[in-house]
Amino acid sequence: MTPPRASGYFRTDYARDFALLDTRTQKAWMLLFAAALLGYPFLAGPLALDLANQVLLASVGAVALMLLTGYAGQISLGHAGLLAAGAFTTGILFKEFGAAFWVTLPASAAVGGLLGLLFGLPSLRLRGLYLAVSTLALHFIVIHLGSEYETRRGFSTGIVIDPPVIGPWTLYDARAWYFVLLSAAGATVLLSLNLLRSRTGRAWRAIHRREAVAGALGINVHRAKLSAFVVSSMLTAVAGCLFAYFRGFVSVEAFSLFLTIQYVAMIIIGGMGSILGALLGTVFVTLFPYLIERLMEALGLVEMLASVIFAVNYSAFGLMMILFLVFEAQGLVGIWRRVQAWLLLWPFRQKPLGGAR
Amino acid sequence: MQLAVNIAVLASIYALISCGYVLIYRVSRVLSLAQGELMMLGAYGLYATASLFSAQPLVAIVAAGVLAVTVGALVYFALMWRMTGESVLAAVLATIALGILLRGLMILVFGTQTRYPLDELGMSNVSIEVGAEARISAAGLGLVIATACVYGLLFAFLRFTRWGIRMRAAGQNPLLAAQRGIGLHGVYALAWGLATFTGGLAGMLLACDAGLEATMVVIGLKAFPAALVGGLDSIFGALLGSLVIAGAEVLMVHYVDPLLSDVVPFFVLLAMLIVRPWGFFGSREELDRV
Amino acid sequence: MSEPLLRLEGVEVVYHRVITAVQGVSLQVPKGGIVALLGINGAGKTTTLRAISGFIGLDDARVTKGSIAYGGESIENRAPHRVTALGIALVPERSKVFENLSVGENLEAVVTRPGADRRQLADSVYALFPALARLRGREAGYLSGGERQMLAIGAALACAPDLLLVDELSQGLAPLVAQELIGRLQRVRAELGTTVLLVEQNAQVALDIADYGYVMENGRIVIDGTPERLRSHADIQEFYLGAGGGTRRRSYRDVKQYRRSRRWYG
Repeated sequence: MTPPRASGYFRTDYARDFALLDTRTQKAWMLLFAAALLGYPFLAGPLALDLANQVLLASVGAVALMLLTGYAGQISLGHAGLLAAGAFTTGILFKEFGAAFWVTLPASAAVGGLLGLLFGLPSLRLRGLYLAVSTLALHFIVIHLGSEYETRRGFSTGIVIDPPVIGPWTLYDARAWYFVLLSAAGATVLLSLNLLRSRTGRAWRAIHRREAVAGALGINVHRAKLSAFVVSSMLTAVAGCLFAYFRGFVSVEAFSLFLTIQYVAMIIIGGMGSILGALLGTVFVTLFPYLIERLMEALGLVEMLASVIFAVNYSAFGLMMILFLVFEAQGLVGIWRRVQAWLLLWPFRQKPLGGAR
Repeated sequence: MQLAVNIAVLASIYALISCGYVLIYRVSRVLSLAQGELMMLGAYGLYATASLFSAQPLVAIVAAGVLAVTVGALVYFALMWRMTGESVLAAVLATIALGILLRGLMILVFGTQTRYPLDELGMSNVSIEVGAEARISAAGLGLVIATACVYGLLFAFLRFTRWGIRMRAAGQNPLLAAQRGIGLHGVYALAWGLATFTGGLAGMLLACDAGLEATMVVIGLKAFPAALVGGLDSIFGALLGSLVIAGAEVLMVHYVDPLLSDVVPFFVLLAMLIVRPWGFFGSREELDRV
Repeated sequence: MSEPLLRLEGVEVVYHRVITAVQGVSLQVPKGGIVALLGINGAGKTTTLRAISGFIGLDDARVTKGSIAYGGESIENRAPHRVTALGIALVPERSKVFENLSVGENLEAVVTRPGADRRQLADSVYALFPALARLRGREAGYLSGGERQMLAIGAALACAPDLLLVDELSQGLAPLVAQELIGRLQRVRAELGTTVLLVEQNAQVALDIADYGYVMENGRIVIDGTPERLRSHADIQEFYLGAGGGTRRRSYRDVKQYRRSRRWYG
């Protein structure tokens, strides 16, 4: 599926053609990377560990959104609503029925899938802006339902959730969370890569490019669209469930439109149409507020702006999004690929033939 | 009767903001989701000019209007003209990012406390009697009158003046418009300036009515369904859509549940998208164009 | 002889930096003349027109070699509305009118060159095309093909151009209608003094009114001359005018044109 990186490696059968790791070098790098990931929690300080946890948690949602918008081309502005659905399902089941997490997790996924169907129905008639707007409307409705529940049941400040329990062991240690979230993120990425290699993934790409032609080629466009919404929403709801357990707390204010924008920023800044892009974007957007804080400290502006630090974050975020949209349309992945090309081709220099995608 | 007055005032607010959405979309095919923030900018602009010219309220008001138009044109030249030619999603996200940036900047510059530009201007918001049992505030009345004037002038401008025709032409077929000598940048900047002015006008009058605070920006987002329900490329549709949304919202809040106020516009929007996605007066091709 | 109004010298246009659509085209359009640019689909005629009118930048194309001189001034790679301001108006092949505006509004929307009398121009357009005067209030989207073409020409004339570029006038029109419109172009030249560069696939109709003609193939000018010379040329007759080739052709390779053009390129 991806073009071979260097010469001398030939694909001799179909299975090798869409294997995830092609060459021995790639496999070696992957092993190193895996080792680094596994060793990270033992070497990192508490702040770094918490940041890593946040990144891993966000990446599940980001990859889900990338599948829907980046690959299948269905613009969705309802992401926060779907996260809220997962979180609230967990919260409601926990508070009303004392359900354990091996019930709430699949339940969240199921609710997510159903909502995905609902969010996806407009996509059968609408496209582009109108689809985005319909998902936006649905987001507000879901949020409203959540806040209705909060007020009706008296949880006006939010629902507190106990950490998940597996047998005798309770999950609240940051390091333990790291491994849980790492497996969740890893599973999501693997699932996505597999889906994208399969017929479903190819159908999604086709309807993204030219819907009419995809239909003419025999792809069931409606099924492809709905499957994109359903898969993406299920993953997002699972992310919401994990979010609920991680924070130990569910409340409507956390799921604002700004959260959706953050996720959309992750996939845009990362680079549309690439799982690597989703991951890079997640790292960037999650770490961004901390970067801004460090910058403020370095500039000695902290005391002056302490009361409005969130406004500083807000402005910086908006500015950064604008800069990426205007100057770096292909996002971080574009930069990564350019660096890779430069490294591979050194000492030769290559100017792409213009309009390189 | 009071309900009718409330509907009229709310519809005026939505109408002024949504005509900004429609103008920009109709002329440049960009959906600008920054109208709420631009409305706030207009309101803060009035506060700033009112503080500067507190002895001469008329000067302050005119200055605020001019400021709004200039800022709108500036936004186009600083950001949006670079986004021409990019994908639809990228342009919309750019406006969202712009809104976020403006919101942050406004809090940084003006702080989070509620401001009262009316006090700065030295005027007061009297309550006027309408009919037997209803009252309307002066600012509310101002809103209704302003909406009527703005829409009337806008209709006349677009239909009868040469630049209005050129704006419509540029909206339909930008390439052909350029071939006929119409400078597209000028047309787009004009649309942005006008949109910011009408939104800013709504913000200013609203600030006079209820005070100016950062949470007002939510109203901008609620006005968006009004534009869509009416048809994203119809000015008259924006007016009608605003009436429908405002009516639904006020009636729901009064008879059913006050908590519904934020979500009713989106219910109506969803219903419209299911039944008639292109709105009351929108053109059907818009759907496929996007 | 006085300086031609429009002169192209060795113009090369490249799309996406890799596809050369126009390779070394040189042509001249004298002031007050009607020049025809002929050729089949894909020959590069429309690209040449777009290069002159400044629209190629939008398709990621550039004039990479040669020069385009208008009234002595070089205008390659200039923005479209600047080119219009200089006095060149284009009647495009597709999307020629504003569909949702009325005929009158279509003409109003045009930006006239500074110094030109808008009233007078409008009157002359209505005099040239009386049908438009009748249809002044009709929405342009509801016009017939011939009426639409008339409106397109009229709108271009409303810019008060010195040079009118017409792209595929006869396309999609019934032969009689096409002939009549071509005749109107002659009146345009006669009454308004406008120079015309006419790009056409229908060589018959174009050579009826042209003073001079160029034939393009695969991005190059392969032959040029007065209409008499072109009409009497055997290859033109066979390939563009539909006159019988005499011998029965069995395949493309047998066509003289193919063999000749191989010689031209060689």
